[in-house]
Amino acid sequence: MIEAKDVSLKYPDGTLALNNVNISINKGELVYITGPSGSGKTSFLKLIMGIEYPTSGSLRVLGQNIEQKEESQIRKMRRSIGPVFQEFRLIKGRTALENVIDGLRIIGFSPRRLKEEAELALDKVGLKHKAKSLVENLSWGEAQRVSIARAVARKPSLILADEPTGNLDYENAVKILNLLASFRNENTAVVITTHATHLIEGFKDATFLRVASGIITKDGGERL
Amino acid sequence: MKNIIFNLGYFIREARRNIRLNLVSNIFSFIGTVLILFILALVISGWSISERFIQMLKEEAEISAYYNENLDTFDALSMIEYINTIDGVTDARLVGEEEAYARMESILGEEAKILELYEENPFKAYIEIGIELEKRDAVLEKVSAIDGIEYVRDNREVLERVEGIIRGLKTLGVLVMAAVGIASLVIISHMIRQGIYNNREQINTLRFLGASDPFIGFPYLITGLLTTVGGGLLASAFITAVINTGYGRMSGTLPFIPLPPRNELVLLVVIVIMAVSIFLGILGSLFGLSSIKSRVNS
Repeated sequence: MIEAKDVSLKYPDGTLALNNVNISINKGELVYITGPSGSGKTSFLKLIMGIEYPTSGSLRVLGQNIEQKEESQIRKMRRSIGPVFQEFRLIKGRTALENVIDGLRIIGFSPRRLKEEAELALDKVGLKHKAKSLVENLSWGEAQRVSIARAVARKPSLILADEPTGNLDYENAVKILNLLASFRNENTAVVITTHATHLIEGFKDATFLRVASGIITKDGGERL
Repeated sequence: MKNIIFNLGYFIREARRNIRLNLVSNIFSFIGTVLILFILALVISGWSISERFIQMLKEEAEISAYYNENLDTFDALSMIEYINTIDGVTDARLVGEEEAYARMESILGEEAKILELYEENPFKAYIEIGIELEKRDAVLEKVSAIDGIEYVRDNREVLERVEGIIRGLKTLGVLVMAAVGIASLVIISHMIRQGIYNNREQINTLRFLGASDPFIGFPYLITGLLTTVGGGLLASAFITAVINTGYGRMSGTLPFIPLPPRNELVLLVVIVIMAVSIFLGILGSLFGLSSIKSRVNS
């Protein structure tokens, strides 16, 4: 599903965000990527989504090479990903339901199914009653859940969540992580970045990766 | 394509949202578009009327050929028969001495008394030749070369002035069309660019979710089209009112100007304005959309 070989990412200002990463993530896997702020977690997710391109090495996501020349194909590949952005990226001036519908519209759901599927997804995240609320009127946690609903409604092969627990209290943070983990199945892998390591200790069957200064290591310390 | 058709309602809602998002600026763009298209409509109307006027002048273009006094009427008629076969001649006929005198009387009006001072008719018979303006020189050359023709009065000055008017009007029309086209394109593409800039966050989000550029751009195309087509409709309504009023006044005060039928003119102007509106709306939007890549980071 994700195959990275000697992948490095260097920003134009010279910052080395990721250094020679070798990683493989398979279907149905739940992966936590931890590390302090600025360690390269978000850069790694940006690479997977094709928002950034590797400076060196090769990266394949859902069978697609992540290279600048493949931009239009990468756009198509993104339709199989359910992204949960750190800053949510919900479209203001629209309701929670409209935001979820917009995510479905792009991947070609028929107009008949749009509302039905979006309501189902909002129900899964416990926000059916807020379907008609404008997203700017939702609390932080609710907005986060709308963002998750938008991601999972698309029935993606890969869910990418960037710091989904940021600024949430312990109880709500655990709820969000459990919710995201619940969407893992034999066809869907879930990759979550977080700097709150104490929140993920309970997920025994997950893969734990750690990023520090652009270097990714496995839980045991083995460099990838 | 299927996705575009499925989401047509969504695109129209998005276009309305785009217009509302920057309402004041968009209203000014709309007013600008209406005014520009109205100017274009005026030019097209003027063009159409002057084309008809010019056509009339062209039809009136003629030269006069004077023949040797020793030739009789039979010889003159043979000459006319030949002249009628020359390419560029629309009609040739003999104007006798009496007719020439009567014509001058009619031209001079009250001053025609001066002709009474002559003991004999001072006017000679001649051949009046209607010509196609574009073939004037060739006809002149051939008529002058006919044996027995002594002098050809070609009305060169008048004919050249008519040609000058035709060229001037055509050039003016083309220049106005070009100016209107460029101004409309600038207004519409600027409006679209502004909309894209205001929605850059949303556009980025849609890209991250996998939306294609046509999917993202379609609402902006509709925004441009709504503006120009709306502007075209309003400009058409204005020009219809102006033509109706103008016809009422011109037929009374300037009856000699040959106006085309009113309904024919209105129909022509409205069709051209609406076609130009649609064309400029699409083209202006596409120009504006070309800025997506440079203004929005993927």
